[in-house]
Amino acid sequence: MRPALQPGDWLLVDPTTRRWPRRGTIVVVRQPASGRLVIKRVAARPGDTIRVPGGQHRLGSAEAWLLGDAPEISVDSRRYGAVNLDHLVGRAWLRYGPFGRPFGPVGQPSRRRSAR
Amino acid sequence: MSRLTTRLVQALAPTTVASAHCDIPCGIYDPHGAVLAAQTVAKMVELIGALDGTSPADRNKFIRCVTVKEQHAEIVKHEVQVIWSDYFKPEHLVANPDLHTKVWNLLKLAGKNKQNVDAEAAAQLQAGVKEFADIFWSTKK
Repeated sequence: MRPALQPGDWLLVDPTTRRWPRRGTIVVVRQPASGRLVIKRVAARPGDTIRVPGGQHRLGSAEAWLLGDAPEISVDSRRYGAVNLDHLVGRAWLRYGPFGRPFGPVGQPSRRRSAR
Repeated sequence: MSRLTTRLVQALAPTTVASAHCDIPCGIYDPHGAVLAAQTVAKMVELIGALDGTSPADRNKFIRCVTVKEQHAEIVKHEVQVIWSDYFKPEHLVANPDLHTKVWNLLKLAGKNKQNVDAEAAAQLQAGVKEFADIFWSTKK
């Protein structure tokens, strides 16, 4: 997730998130099948149509399409498909450490980006 | 004073770790590719069964479906073989002593799906791959 996040960053995660946040937001989810805690970015939300090999796919009412920021090495929805809301752990909200890393919100899409 | 700082840092540091990508720390093995390929084989058998026309369009689609069925049965074999030979280690056999037999049967089943248009064999292939995937994930817990 570089440069947005670096290994070792301390993040406050909002676990009260009950729906998929807007595109561009960084979320912590349980990876389908493995249950591993992983951190990804919301690329598409319920009702969005995405392009997949061989056509288009419309996401269900609880589904999101999650992608890592490093497409060459990230294991994300391209591998395990759309992720259901019950896998969502929370929204990554704030980086508060460690010392020397910038303090503040992470992964908030800018107004311009979310409008695209 | 420095002890207090250390304790404060320890108290504030996160206790849960989320990974950005799991490739490098945990290896790049994932049976999902085999699961998808087995699904594709079953879908192709279904599509082939639904064709009855002799029109050029239907014959063309028939050949395309057979080709995709062949390719994806081969993907099942490849994906299963790679995880079997490269990922599984002797200690995994303790919990799954019949792994070798299961993989052997699964590979034969993939071959059977190449040779035939058989909905039952396709369903068996899907079930077998799912079982293989479940064994794989059980070793990750």
